[in-house]
Amino acid sequence: MALLEVSGLVKEFDGKPVLNGVDLSLEEGQVKVIMGPSGCGKSTLLRCINRLVEPTSGRILFRGEDVTRPDTDVRALRQRIGFVFQHFALYRHLSALDNIKLGLRKLRRMSDAEATDRACHELRRMDMEEHRDKYPAQLSGGQKQRVAIARALAMDPAVLFFDEPTSALDPRMAREVVALINQLFMDNVTMLCVTHDVFLARYISDRILFLDHGQVRAEGDVEQLLDAHDDPQIRAFFGPGTRAR
Amino acid sequence: MSFAQIVALLATGAGYTVLVTLACIATGLLTGLGIALLGRLRLRGLGWLLRAYTYVFRGVPVLALLFLVFFGLPGIGFNVPPLLAMMLSLGLVTGAYLAEVFRGAFEAVDPNEIMAAEAMGMRRRQILLAIEMPQMLRFSVPGMLNEFTTVLKYSPFAYTVGLPDIMKQAMALSATTLRGLEIYLAVGLLYFAIYKSLQFLVRGIERYFYVPGFTRL
Ligand SMILES: Nc1ncnc2c1ncn2[C@@H]1O[C@H](COP(=O)(O)OP(=O)(O)OP(=O)(O)O)[C@@H](O)[C@H]1O
Ligand SMILES: [Mg+2]
Repeated sequence: MALLEVSGLVKEFDGKPVLNGVDLSLEEGQVKVIMGPSGCGKSTLLRCINRLVEPTSGRILFRGEDVTRPDTDVRALRQRIGFVFQHFALYRHLSALDNIKLGLRKLRRMSDAEATDRACHELRRMDMEEHRDKYPAQLSGGQKQRVAIARALAMDPAVLFFDEPTSALDPRMAREVVALINQLFMDNVTMLCVTHDVFLARYISDRILFLDHGQVRAEGDVEQLLDAHDDPQIRAFFGPGTRAR
Repeated sequence: MSFAQIVALLATGAGYTVLVTLACIATGLLTGLGIALLGRLRLRGLGWLLRAYTYVFRGVPVLALLFLVFFGLPGIGFNVPPLLAMMLSLGLVTGAYLAEVFRGAFEAVDPNEIMAAEAMGMRRRQILLAIEMPQMLRFSVPGMLNEFTTVLKYSPFAYTVGLPDIMKQAMALSATTLRGLEIYLAVGLLYFAIYKSLQFLVRGIERYFYVPGFTRL
C-alpha cells in the first residue's frame, strides 16, 4: 500500500484553479521530487496534503485513510508529516535545542530529559550538536536549515516534506544541506521534495514530477526528465543539464 | 527644615505611590494581556466586546472613571476601597492601552513560524502561548515602559480618594510650611527616582529574557 495517494486534487483560490486534478503516489521509503515553474502550485500541493490549505476537491489517502474527510484528525495527520520550509521558520526566541524540544514536549508529552536526549540525537545526526545552545539569529542559513530538518525528524514522521529547502542558501550551504538530505535518502526516509535545484533533484530522487498549470505534466526518473525529454516545454524548463531557475 | 528633611518626609508617601503604580500596572497587564490573547484567538462573537472595551476605556478620562467608581458605586451599594478604585480606573484604562501595544506586537511575529508550528500539529492555543506570546512580549518592551510611565504619572490621582501618597504628603506639608517651591521640587525628584527605578527594573527583566536577534519595535 502506498504511503500517500493523491487523486484528482483540485484547489481553487477565489474560483481560480491552482491545482487542477493532481495525481500523485508515494511509496514507503520512496523519494519524489516535484519541480515546475514558479506559481504552478507546488507549495499549495504540499500544503493541501497536510491540510494547511483546504483542498477544493479530490482525494488524499494517507496509509489508506482518506484524510480529506471532515472528521479527519488534522493535527494527528500533521504530526506524521515533517515539514521543512524554504525560509527555515525556526522559532527565533528558542535555541536550536529548544526548537526541537518544543514539539516533543508539547505534542509527544516527553519529559524534559527525554526530549533533550532525543533532540541531541537529531542534532548530532545533522552535525549540529555543538550549536545546540545558539539562537536562530546566531546560525548561518545552512545551519538553520539543518536544525529545521532535525526538528522535523525528531517527531518521527512517516514522511518528510521539503518546500525548496535550498532556495534561500548560497551554493556552498546548499550543497551542505543536499548532502544531509542525501544521507536521509540513503537511510530510506520517505520524502516529498519541491525544489528548483537540479543538483538536489539529481542527488536524491528516484522519481521527478513535473508540475505545470496545476497538473502533473510528466513523471519519470532523473535521466528521462532532466536530460532528454520529448516535450519541448520540459526541455526548455530544465535546459541542457544545468541548474534551472 | 532642610531640603533633605523635606525629601525624607515626602518619602513616607513614596510607598503608597509605588503601591498604587504597581497595583495599576498589574491590573493593566492582566487585562491587556487577556484582551490581546483573546483577540488573537479570533473567537467568534467576542471581537466586538474586546473592541468595545478598548474603545470605551481609552476614551474616558481616568479621573472621571475614578470618581465614578469611588463616589458613584457606593450609591448603588458597592463600597470600593481606594486602592481597588484606582485599579478599576487607572488599571483598566492602562489595560486598554496595553492591549493595543500587545496587538501591534503580535503583528510582528513571523507568520512562517506560526505556519511551521501548525504544520507540526500544534493547537492554536499552544502556538499562541509557546511561540507568539513570548515573542510578542519581547517586542512590546518599549511600549510597555511607556504605559508604565503613564501610570506613574497618573498615580497622584490616588490622593483624591484619600491614599497618603507623595502628592498628599506634599500638599499637607506645603499647607503648614508654605515652602511650595522646595516641596514640589522634592516631589519632582522623588517621582523621577521612582521612574528611574521602574525603568531599571524593566530593563533588568528585558536583559534576563534577552535573545539574540530580537530587535525592539
Ligand atoms: N492563500 C492564497 N490565496 C490566493 N492565492 C494563492 C494563495 N496561495 C497561493 N496562491 C496562488 O496560487 C498559485 C500557486 O502558488 P504556490 O505557492 O503553490 O506556487 P509554487 O509552485 O510553490 O511557486 P514558487 O515556485 O514560486 O514557490 C500562485 O499563483 C499564488 O498566487
Ligand atoms: Mg512555493
